[in-house]
Amino acid sequence: MNFAPHADEQISTVNISEPAPSGYRAKILLIEDDQEIADEVANDLLDRAYDVFHAATGSQGAEEARRGSYDLLIVDLLLPEIDGLSIIQGLRRDGIRTPVLVVSALGAVNDRIRGLKLGGDDYVTKPFALPEIAARVEALLRRPLETRATVLRVGPLELDLIERVARRGGAAIELSKSEFKLLEYFMRRPDRVVTRDMLLEDVWHYRFLPQTNLVDVHIGRLRRKVDNCGGEPLLLSVRGMGFILRDPC
Amino acid sequence: MLFGVIYWRTKAFEMRRIAAFVSGEAIAVSQGSPDEIIWLVQTDAEHEYHDKYHNMTFSALFTPTGRLVAGDLQQLPPDLPIDGNPHQVALHRRGSDATPRPVIAVARRLPSGQVLVIARGVGVLNTLEEIVAGTLLLGVIPAIGPALAAGIWLNRKAQRRIKAVNQSIERIMQGAVHERLPVHGIADDFDQLADSVNRMLAEIERLIAEVQGVSDNIAHDLRTPLARVRTLLERGREKARTPADMAALVDRAIAGLDQAQAIITALLRIGEIEGGQRRAAFCRVELDEIAIAAGELYAPMAEEKRVQLIVDASSAAVVDGDRDLLIELVANLIDNAIKFAPEGGEVRLSVAHAPNGPVIRVGDNGPGIPVAERAAVVKRFYRLDKSRHVQGSGLGLSIVLAIVMLHDFDFIVTDASPGANPPGCLFEIRCVNANSGSVTLSPAPAKKRLKWPPHGWWRPRREADATAIGA
Repeated sequence: MNFAPHADEQISTVNISEPAPSGYRAKILLIEDDQEIADEVANDLLDRAYDVFHAATGSQGAEEARRGSYDLLIVDLLLPEIDGLSIIQGLRRDGIRTPVLVVSALGAVNDRIRGLKLGGDDYVTKPFALPEIAARVEALLRRPLETRATVLRVGPLELDLIERVARRGGAAIELSKSEFKLLEYFMRRPDRVVTRDMLLEDVWHYRFLPQTNLVDVHIGRLRRKVDNCGGEPLLLSVRGMGFILRDPC
Repeated sequence: MLFGVIYWRTKAFEMRRIAAFVSGEAIAVSQGSPDEIIWLVQTDAEHEYHDKYHNMTFSALFTPTGRLVAGDLQQLPPDLPIDGNPHQVALHRRGSDATPRPVIAVARRLPSGQVLVIARGVGVLNTLEEIVAGTLLLGVIPAIGPALAAGIWLNRKAQRRIKAVNQSIERIMQGAVHERLPVHGIADDFDQLADSVNRMLAEIERLIAEVQGVSDNIAHDLRTPLARVRTLLERGREKARTPADMAALVDRAIAGLDQAQAIITALLRIGEIEGGQRRAAFCRVELDEIAIAAGELYAPMAEEKRVQLIVDASSAAVVDGDRDLLIELVANLIDNAIKFAPEGGEVRLSVAHAPNGPVIRVGDNGPGIPVAERAAVVKRFYRLDKSRHVQGSGLGLSIVLAIVMLHDFDFIVTDASPGANPPGCLFEIRCVNANSGSVTLSPAPAKKRLKWPPHGWWRPRREADATAIGA
């Protein structure tokens, strides 16, 4: 992944580590037996204003998941004694609907698929980048707007889903099919960081494409169309993580 | 044992038959008038009736006190109950030999008080018994001897071969990886087994060599970016004046480390793909849909390079495979093509139908790949001399080939427009879901299809290509 900035890139100074307006710190349960990885992840999430409880074994984690009321679970599939898949299966069977982020080894395709089928909501593979985990954690905690509205609005931006037309401050913007899908994705997640991997998966339905700088090119074009017609820049880059569509309100 | 069973069954059958016959005779005869009875008995006795089975019949009529009225028995057999049922006894024929003959006899008391005896010889069965015994002794027992001997000899021979195989395997396990099991060219079960094991050994040997090769490659190709990062940080430490300088330096170092990580990830992925487990998750994949999505994804990048990207995927084309990997295959090929196409050039992606299955073609109108370098172009980390300036890890085509091999597709590198200048490069993936998995380097039609691998490379997972494993 190439994080060198483009010429026309607007670097955002959005501070992700601010807690949500209400001051609520989400509680995350991390079930991970590798102490080093657990330390890394827990510290990073703490910096981002989450509360993290670390369970080092599967049984401890399963018990804790049932006992405490967590907002999110991060479960490593490769655990001693009970494996992650059984934990997830057990929780879902007992009616626990907490979102689960699955962590699996690189090659374990079937495990991942099963993990999602059994009730996991998203996954990352080892080795993972901390920003990736952070972005997905946030995505799971704050689900996209599942409105049935046919027109999405973020600040001066307006997206008509029926007419397939985008507008900024009333003026129409010409968008290609890809650009429209991309903008729609951002507008359903205002003020949330979106990583390049997330975009590749959710907008283009590609997974594991190493050529993530492709996304930059698409973002660049979209940005030129959306932000260059005057007014403040809304589609920003977040150093080391991805992109964000800022809601000026 | 078979003989025994046959004899026993035959005897039982015959006995029953004779018994039934005799009973029936007795009943029939006793129905006649006394004169008829006497006449029948006398006629029987006089003609010494032999039926076609060379059985003997006896018939006799006695007074209630046991004195002979007519017939060919000397006296009423003492051990024959007069109950009208068939019994096995031995009888003397009147007047002739003294040896008693085994018969089945029936004695009936007639209404007049006289006793009628009808009997039938069963001597033939004894003869049969003798024949069977004789056959057994003469034929079967001598046959058992050689059969046993042959069995023992074959068993010994088989054991010897198994022992040889075990010893070979023992030596191989201790490190003689290039040894192979002896094959005697008889094409029997042992040879087939030896053949299979030999092929397995060839694969193991190749994998060992490859792992060594890859470790060398990894070591070499990671050192470069890592060394660069180190130099960067060292020099920067001295030269950086302001925090902004430092920040820029750190950014570049991170970029270098990301590059190193990308190489590692790519190599791990190639290993994972080659491992073959992903075959288990194969499902129907629509190549035309992938191609169109890939075209959309790469359109901006092509535009930035002022390269025209044309996608021709109008008809549905379905194969069995791993969707993510096939997407990556197409993406890598387009990525590669766009990189090497000249500014203002053209890249064409097409998914077409062919008799054996869909064909994916990615062609450009760039400098093309010289024939001599086509074998090397897919080797890991290889960069064509004239394009070393192009960014990338050099692993893109390696991943493409790994994916092709996993799916058992055919991979062809050739000129996009043969004869033209520049000839352009065309990569063709023939998605044959049947058994192939070969790689062709010469322009089609290729008389000489090189079967991979040359020394130290992937091999198609087909038995037919076993002989292609060289060095």
